[in-house]
Amino acid sequence: MDVLSSYIISASGYLLPVLALWLLVRCVRSMLREKYEPEMWAYFEAKGGERAVIKHWESLIGSAKTSDIIINREKVAKTQAALIRDADGDWVIYDLAPNDGLISVSSQTDCGEGIRISDGDKLDVAGASMTFHTLSTKQRAAVEKKRTSPGFFVSPAVTLFILTVFQAVLTLQFSVSSTREDSLNIALAFLALAIIQWVYFLIMRAINYSGFETEFLAFFLSTLGLAVVATSDPETLLKQLIMLLAGLAIFIFIGFWLRDLKRAKAARWPMAVFAIAFLALNILAGDTINGQKNWLSFGGFSLQPSEFVKVAYVYVGAATLDRLFRGRNLFMFIGFSALCVGSLALMGDFGTALIFFATFLVISFLRSGNLATVILAVSAAAIAGFLVLTVKPYALDRFSTWRHIWEVPYDAGFQQTRALSAAASGGLFGVGAGDGWLHSIFAADTDMVFCLVCEELGLIVAICAVMAIIVLGLFAVRGAAQGRSSFFVILACAGASMMMFQMALNVFGSVDLLPFTGVTFPFVSKGGSSLICCWGLLAFIKAADTRQNASFSVRRGSKRSRSEGDSI
Amino acid sequence: MKKVTRRAYSALLLAGLTILGLIIYVVSYASDGGDWALFTANSKVYYNGMINVGTVKDRNGKVLAYADGETHYYAEDYDTRISCLHAVGDYAGNIGSGALKVFRTKLAGYSSITGLKEGGGTVTLSIDSDLNSVAYKALSGRNGAVMMINYKTGEILCMVSSPSYDPNTMQVPDGAYINRCIGASYVPGSVFKLVTLAAALETIDDIKERSFYCAGSIQVGEQTVTCTGTHGSQTIEQALANSCNCAFGEIALELGGETLSDYAHKLGLCSEHEINGITTKAGSFDIAEDGSSLLAWSAIGQYNDLVTPYSMLRYVAAIANGGSVQEGTLLKGSGSSSTRLLSANTAKEIASMMDYTVTTAYGDNLFPNLDLAAKSGTAEVGDGTSHSWFTGFLNDTKHPYAFVVVIEHGGSGLANAGALANTLLQAAVGEQTNG
Repeated sequence: MDVLSSYIISASGYLLPVLALWLLVRCVRSMLREKYEPEMWAYFEAKGGERAVIKHWESLIGSAKTSDIIINREKVAKTQAALIRDADGDWVIYDLAPNDGLISVSSQTDCGEGIRISDGDKLDVAGASMTFHTLSTKQRAAVEKKRTSPGFFVSPAVTLFILTVFQAVLTLQFSVSSTREDSLNIALAFLALAIIQWVYFLIMRAINYSGFETEFLAFFLSTLGLAVVATSDPETLLKQLIMLLAGLAIFIFIGFWLRDLKRAKAARWPMAVFAIAFLALNILAGDTINGQKNWLSFGGFSLQPSEFVKVAYVYVGAATLDRLFRGRNLFMFIGFSALCVGSLALMGDFGTALIFFATFLVISFLRSGNLATVILAVSAAAIAGFLVLTVKPYALDRFSTWRHIWEVPYDAGFQQTRALSAAASGGLFGVGAGDGWLHSIFAADTDMVFCLVCEELGLIVAICAVMAIIVLGLFAVRGAAQGRSSFFVILACAGASMMMFQMALNVFGSVDLLPFTGVTFPFVSKGGSSLICCWGLLAFIKAADTRQNASFSVRRGSKRSRSEGDSI
Repeated sequence: MKKVTRRAYSALLLAGLTILGLIIYVVSYASDGGDWALFTANSKVYYNGMINVGTVKDRNGKVLAYADGETHYYAEDYDTRISCLHAVGDYAGNIGSGALKVFRTKLAGYSSITGLKEGGGTVTLSIDSDLNSVAYKALSGRNGAVMMINYKTGEILCMVSSPSYDPNTMQVPDGAYINRCIGASYVPGSVFKLVTLAAALETIDDIKERSFYCAGSIQVGEQTVTCTGTHGSQTIEQALANSCNCAFGEIALELGGETLSDYAHKLGLCSEHEINGITTKAGSFDIAEDGSSLLAWSAIGQYNDLVTPYSMLRYVAAIANGGSVQEGTLLKGSGSSSTRLLSANTAKEIASMMDYTVTTAYGDNLFPNLDLAAKSGTAEVGDGTSHSWFTGFLNDTKHPYAFVVVIEHGGSGLANAGALANTLLQAAVGEQTNG
């Protein structure tokens, strides 16, 4: 039996990286191979019959090369006007340089700050005249039909099957592991995970959605997360599974919520209030665990408010294009960010504060496009950081041992030296799930989870986990080009950046390339709040995917939406 | 929208930096992973701070030490345990240069591809434990160092240091933790004449035509340098065979301290060497004032000269191997780099003079059936006793062995170290012919 199990461990040790790589490659391939065709919402027709297609709900008109409709005329500003399809499906022109008086629409219906433009209206920009045409229901349906759905080149069912085999092999490793007595529970947990993912897939498939790359990457990472819990704290497997289900529910809920831009936009203010209230409650009534006052407990159940605030933060940071060109909006956001980061610093959660700050930089760059703003923010943060370090000297300890952990392996370098030692022990293929020793070290299943995966499943699988998050980031960027609204683009890019940055802090902190900040690896680290937050962020990435039938959070030109007057 | 979607590419910067970080990690993993895995807190490798996996074998497959994850064991028989102690090392880590410490990465079965191997790996030493036993017994309790190397491959076949102890009983004599082969340096006495000889052959053009006259002593300034006998008129070859202090003192005065020092350094006697990551002790050579008697003494291995047995062996192995040394290794079949110490011509001349020395001065009957080239040394240590040195090699393609024997306070080089060398060589050659 011993000989047999050692054969199984070594054979499966080679199989896991192959399956993980295969899965990753399939997800990347579908992104690269499949067409990301733009949608078509309306078009302008000039006198000569020349057409300019409107591919997004928000477009810029001006002389700049980055404008969606470029008008090269004297006097025309770089960004002269914004053409926005509002939540009711009506089109509105916002003159962004109204003092010049260069914009006029033939029907001249003012609606608040903008000018309504309807099918057949003539738009005049500094003397250049063109006719606006919206697409009829039939036309839109015809255009949509021509766009390719994902899943044609790379079948999602096969990808999911590979993931299921990966899970089966992991289960096998656990069951032959010499040190485990609870392999039945572990097997049941993986079975439950497999059922969850297949049920999700089949339901979504049944209602005709065919893009699953983001979810599959998340399920892959969640599988690793389940393996981590199985090895370090098998008693909480059930809890982890319940949290996964809750995360999936949040993912679906947010996804559907984002279908309606008007509704989504309206919820930003309540979200901001919720975030600040939650943080305030945390500061007043929170529990301090391991030097960080970032826990709230009620009746035996505890959660980390900062994780939920992460989702809210990105949400509040998003804005539609017409808003982007009004300074007031960004200043409100800067104030909100300062409140969040300050609260986190007060709690002693510097890692999360850093993640918020990095996300702030991404959002403010996306919103302003202004490098000066970013530089200003960075210098302000540097000064603030310096003040924090002088006021709270223990935070400095992390920096003093940074790159010197081998000099203090029994003191401040305790965790990382062991993490590296275990990670190296695993080699490229790992010692086998459940056969490592790092899990007995404090925080191995959260802060040092990269090294735990390295030890038990090998460096290749661990790198696949890192790459999975990076691929999610690439998806967000790839989808951005066809995003309907900058609201979704900002959500997706900021959400993905937050995940990538958090992962980088976790991975490079544990291997001593960056200071050890004790943040979690998205989806993989043990912890319910963090897992739910990650599924929430994933919904943001999903919402930017406008490939035909790719995303349930993008409303199709279905009967229902037409009857609501959503499509013209 | 174009504007915003372009800015979205900034997220790629973060992705790029993350990938860069990952590459840095993988590179440092590839270079330092072994050290990380072998960190003493790794419970898969260590128990109570002692390595608890892996097997050490000698070149014939005999187990010298192994650990099964819970208990560790040394060789079964006492002679092997005590004679191989310094080569194998000990689990407690008292002997810093032993295989258990030096090859612990290999012992743990670590490779950056597969990580740690379950149950550890096997380290096969180049040492022949039987030869070690023979050498240790021949030392019969005297302190000293015995080494033998295959000068064609660099494999160290025998490495014995005395005093030693049985790691199972742990009765440790003073100074037993030091491996004297590589970690101690001694007054070399006449074996140092091999260094002076190399300098003379390469520096003085007509050295082979010259005649050196020995009247039993020479006067240098106000001091007298005495000789071991009265050798009369002799060639350089005869002077080496006679180990004539007068001749070599005269040569030293002509060469000068700088040249002698240059050769001592060039031939590696004053530097540290690496054997599979083990650093050997450097010897030393102080330059005496030109024209002084101390200069003459320094050329014949007295004054402040100190030589580590391995450094001398390395030089002699170079002589045997046509001037370039195959650097020593303790791992069987591992191969090693080679370093040129002498021109092929000089090496050949010294080799033939060492051969002549054995034939004419020592007598082939002392070394039956061996085609031996060697040099003895009887190094006065100042307390009336002498360290006994004997170093040389076999001119035998089947048995390309070079050796060095040092017996502390052992008296005459030839009679003591020489006899031990014969015992060792007979065993080595006999063993090989017997298969």
